[in-house]
Amino acid sequence: MRLLLTALILVSGAAAASAQWLDRSWPGIPRTADGKPNLAAPAPRTPDGKPDLSGVWNGPVPRPPYDAANAHPWVNDLVQRHHRDYFRARPSFLCRPSGPEADRSAGWKRILQTPAVMAILNDNLTHRVIHLDGRALEADPAPSWMGYSVGRWEGDTLVVESNGYNDKTWLSADGRAHTEALRVTERYRRTDFGHLQIEVTFTDPAAYVKPWGVTANLTLAADTEMLEAVCERSSEHWVGNVSDADKSAVTVAPDVLARYAGIYSGFWLNTKRVVDVSLSGGQLIAKVLVGGTIAGDESRPLVPQSQTLFDGLGLGYRFIVDDAGVATDVEEIHISGAWRLSRQR
Amino acid sequence: MKLVLAAFALVAGATPAMAQWLDRPWAGIPRTADGKPNVAAPAPRTPDGKPDLTGIWNGPNPEARLDPANEKPWIRDLVRQRQQEYHRGRPSFQCRPSGPEADEFGGWKRILQTPAAIVILNEEQTYRVIHMDGRALEAEPAPSWMGYSVGRWEGETLVVESNGFSDKTWLSRYGQGHTEALRMTERYRRTAFGHLQIEVTYTDPDAYVKPWGFTANMTLAPDTEMLENICERSSDHWAGSLTDAAGRSVTVPPDVLAKYVGVYRGFYTPARPRTVEVSLSGGQLVARVIGSASVDGGEMRPLVPQSQTLFEGLGLGYEFIVDDTGTATALVEVHISGPYRYERQR
Repeated sequence: MRLLLTALILVSGAAAASAQWLDRSWPGIPRTADGKPNLAAPAPRTPDGKPDLSGVWNGPVPRPPYDAANAHPWVNDLVQRHHRDYFRARPSFLCRPSGPEADRSAGWKRILQTPAVMAILNDNLTHRVIHLDGRALEADPAPSWMGYSVGRWEGDTLVVESNGYNDKTWLSADGRAHTEALRVTERYRRTDFGHLQIEVTFTDPAAYVKPWGVTANLTLAADTEMLEAVCERSSEHWVGNVSDADKSAVTVAPDVLARYAGIYSGFWLNTKRVVDVSLSGGQLIAKVLVGGTIAGDESRPLVPQSQTLFDGLGLGYRFIVDDAGVATDVEEIHISGAWRLSRQR
Repeated sequence: MKLVLAAFALVAGATPAMAQWLDRPWAGIPRTADGKPNVAAPAPRTPDGKPDLTGIWNGPNPEARLDPANEKPWIRDLVRQRQQEYHRGRPSFQCRPSGPEADEFGGWKRILQTPAAIVILNEEQTYRVIHMDGRALEAEPAPSWMGYSVGRWEGETLVVESNGFSDKTWLSRYGQGHTEALRMTERYRRTAFGHLQIEVTYTDPDAYVKPWGFTANMTLAPDTEMLENICERSSDHWAGSLTDAAGRSVTVPPDVLAKYVGVYRGFYTPARPRTVEVSLSGGQLVARVIGSASVDGGEMRPLVPQSQTLFEGLGLGYEFIVDDTGTATALVEVHISGPYRYERQR
């Protein structure tokens, strides 16, 4: 199998590693009559009356839709190049810190709040420090992966301003870049005991016309522990790109391709996945409708490598056909293995 | 220079990156009459009367010395094999977490303390969580890089017990391995406002005859900030081994080698005096490096000739400077951080 490893897979590979093994009752938290953590109870407060964000949190990764019109041309060019290279330069795929990347605003994290400093510990063994002692941002901070952050309370909202990022990090899984002038504003609100909302805004006029951002909704992961998810396999050794796949492409007759068009569904790891395969301009396109990494927008042109095997931006797609050559299933080939999706129509 | 980068040298190479850029006075700390932080003042306390370890700390890498007599044979073999490979598999050289390794008790770290948990943030972004809520250690924790830690107060001393380490980490930069049964005990004492002492003991009966360890002495780094220090160059691409060096070796006549035998002295980095005793043993030059700190009494490096004057000594280069008669007058030890010249004493 000469197909290349894809970014998509590695993400989900890491998700599996963060499965929790611990069933550990937290003492002193509000519980409902049946003994379950009462996530709807009021948010706790520190002795000085501020909301206390401390806890182990988890939540789905926000995937901001790509807005090419809001990005300067050099950012659009870079996004296209990263796409061609299967996103292999993404910091987390290189086992480097993700810094301000939108994906990092969610996932597993532990927050530890003290009066002067708040620490956010990520499951990939990176951390951020947010200074709460009233200091201002550094005017000229040394560029770093995780940035320099100060926070202040506006009522019950913690407003965190950050600068001092190097330009090696991305703002999103699809490769949106930023300059060292990036400013990140976050608004943390623990709306009740079990919920933490983080509104993230990226401001970087040399890269984006208007500020933009994401909202992460985290849920308290009560009665368990956060486990490490350490990157050990760097993408440095990934080879190939979309142009390589094009070079090795073969020609498949349109009437054969037409027999593959349809909707396929099944599971990838334990995530439900629905893929819509359609024919557009003589080429098959796989659109991941459910379970994809880029919500609503994950279109994978399928480059034929044989009559039934296609390269879809680093994922393999092998169609299983009946006697008439009509597809009954498609196997989506990830580094984690082949995942069979059955044809629905 | 075809010599292979030495693990040892890389350690020194990382040091400049830890230099601090920030001059930021801390509010509310004890100061002497001249306004300097009073590091001799009493240690601060939390509202519940416990010593408060919070702060930014820095300290030298503690010395976890090799003690072959206390090592099970498989550990001795592993240490030899890792030396043979220039320590390239050391987790920190591969941009992986150092876990319980002794060197992780030096360098920059920030400690945050709350009643339920103490967090130790390391400059290379890894961190440890020490649970202070009275829980016991997990009986069978999932093996991890940083381990699972619980702490309790014994008077003024914070006693931390840890288990659940994967066996990928090392206990020292010299490559002492451990099993997943490793237990680590640490005793933290903030003896004054500016000083934190940490006694570390490793217990791993399948690897070491007796528990062993070291003491780390950290100093408060007030009026500044800790900066991140991210590993970006993995040792994955390092090439070569001692066997390769032997394969490239040339033959140098014994009478030439004899002219290099002697004692050389100088500084490795401005701060560290170093003595290298070069002797001839069984037709091969051997350098005993005193002041390299890995072994009591000196670290033995067999010198494999790469030319008449250039030798490879376990990943370090040794170039002899000779006079008209071929007699060495000085020895240059070549690290990745640069050459260090030691003058011949006798």
